[in-house]
Amino acid sequence: MGNIILKTTDLTKKYNNKAVVDNLNIEIRKGEIFGLLGPNGAGKSTTMNMICSIVRPTAGEIELLGKNPWKQKKEVIHKIGYIPQELAIHGNLKAWENVELFTSLYGIKGQELKKAVGDSLEYVGLLERKQEFAKNFSGGMKRRLNIACALGHNPELLIFDEPTVGIDPQSRNFILDKIKESNAKGATVIYTSHYMEEVEAICTRIAIMDNGKIIACGTSQELKKLVNSGHENITLEEVFLTLTGKKLRDYAE
Amino acid sequence: MIRYLIKNNFKLMFRNTWSIAVMLLGPILVIAVLSSAFSELMKSYEGVDTFPVGYRIQEADDAVIEATKMAGEEAGILFYEYPQGEIKDVMEKNELSGFVEFSEDKYTVYTSADYEVEGITLKYFMNKVMNEGVDASLQIKEQAKIALPVEQLEFMPAIDSVDYYGIVYIVYFCWCGMICATGVLSNEKKYGIVRRFRVSNISESQNFLGKFIPIVLTVAGGMAIATVITVLLYDIHWGKPLLSTVIVFLMIAAGAALGMMLYNISDSLVITIILQFTIVWFLGFFGGSFETYMFSSMPDFLKQLSPIYHGNRALVELSCMGESSYVASTVIYSLAVTVICSIVAIFAGYVRKRGKA
Ligand SMILES: Nc1ncnc2c1ncn2[C@@H]1O[C@H](COP(=O)(O)OP(=O)(O)OP(=O)(O)O)[C@@H](O)[C@H]1O
Ligand SMILES: [Mg+2]
Repeated sequence: MGNIILKTTDLTKKYNNKAVVDNLNIEIRKGEIFGLLGPNGAGKSTTMNMICSIVRPTAGEIELLGKNPWKQKKEVIHKIGYIPQELAIHGNLKAWENVELFTSLYGIKGQELKKAVGDSLEYVGLLERKQEFAKNFSGGMKRRLNIACALGHNPELLIFDEPTVGIDPQSRNFILDKIKESNAKGATVIYTSHYMEEVEAICTRIAIMDNGKIIACGTSQELKKLVNSGHENITLEEVFLTLTGKKLRDYAE
Repeated sequence: MIRYLIKNNFKLMFRNTWSIAVMLLGPILVIAVLSSAFSELMKSYEGVDTFPVGYRIQEADDAVIEATKMAGEEAGILFYEYPQGEIKDVMEKNELSGFVEFSEDKYTVYTSADYEVEGITLKYFMNKVMNEGVDASLQIKEQAKIALPVEQLEFMPAIDSVDYYGIVYIVYFCWCGMICATGVLSNEKKYGIVRRFRVSNISESQNFLGKFIPIVLTVAGGMAIATVITVLLYDIHWGKPLLSTVIVFLMIAAGAALGMMLYNISDSLVITIILQFTIVWFLGFFGGSFETYMFSSMPDFLKQLSPIYHGNRALVELSCMGESSYVASTVIYSLAVTVICSIVAIFAGYVRKRGKA
């Protein structure tokens, strides 16, 4: 424990004068697997995008590895690996070409690049299928390839934005194991999801986000204690629903 | 690192079969259709040696008439004065191919349906003489020789329609190369791949070159194949292969830079394609892509504005005369378009990235 990898101070993003991320303050320390839970539209992706300098914050500060990713992008951006929620791969490129293209964006070349591509593909279990076009992959394979494209440059901080949507339990467990493996090797991880079991299984600390705000933060044990239910074996899902309410989120309010 | 970006974008463009098909089949089909449609017209023109034209003066400068007559003689148009009578009757009675009425500040050309080719030629001739020749002709008193651009008329019969359209449509499609990038660009947007670029150290100019270079290479490859096929199929004659290749290549670069600029400014593929095609259509319209520029009565300054006109003239003249005074202007024009559009494209991309809300 100790040094802070990421710190946001009153981070805010407004769309059409409506705060999608509202004065967000989080602190993530080296070596954590930090889970960000929240219903649809809570602002999880928007937060990640601001950290990765994709979406410009309306207000607030971000300190990423001691730098401001918007002002000192060059010094810090190569230290993050961002796995976007949507599949960001080229269907008309083969698996290895996708990884090569996106890894090369970090200035890696030649033999080093070749090795990085091989390692990343092996990591997600796609090395044998590297010659196949991404468009012919199954949903789970595309997800894994999507992850591989962000790993080649050996980032210190991995940001997974819902990496397990629409895939079977085998692939999901595979991905979760890999995340733990990376973490064991020293990478800090931010993981967003709305699958409670996943988050509970791998995250060292969890924040629950709703309407752009963090409404609770702590280990899963701490979160469970927050909610005073009658019975002992409260699940994280119950905690989540108690804290965020049962109303559907994508409805216009 | 940009090497891998170029390589993979090139692969993507190359694998986008429909755009490659358009770039290959487009010129081949258009050349076939247009060259046969116009071959009659151009062939009949080839048979025309000289033809008679009547004229009548209403308060016009004698020097202008003299200059016109002399230029006409060299171009095979013989002018005879008919001061009296209904113009239609005079033309019929004397079997004139056309008639020109000179007034103080304008001239009127009469043509006849029986002499279609001669009529077009006469219109073109008058347009040329009046726009370019009159200034020179006013010095007639000091200078014995009139500096009229008759040499441009001389070669007209020498190029046949197959060669003309065979060359001109390769030029035209060079400017439409942006369609090769549509696959890559729409994928980048649709699947949020641009975000991956955002979360990296890649600069705007690298991003630009990473697309510009593959576009140029893809279009150059496509055009090379289309040229070889059309040469084999229709027996098109290109002049000075090396110089012609350089010219075509530079125009491909200009077309790609123009497209990238439109894309980086509009940030929309649909707008880019519509704008690019509209611009290129106009450039081609003034530049002789649809109507041969020899017969076109377009004002000269409009033609000169179109880089396609310069390119067409340079390549057509290289084909039929082996040399052209338009080579230099084509090279300069294409390079200028490439450089300016590239700079604007990079700048627009940079502004867009900075301002991304
Ligand atoms: N570019 C945009 N313009 C306007 N509103 C936006 C924009 N991007 C996101 N939003 C809005 O911001 C809110 C938060 O979106 P965000 O994608 O961050 O949610 P999320 O927590 O990631 O949800 P999910 O779990 O569904 O992925 C949503 O209500 C969304 O409609
Ligand atoms: Mg999201």
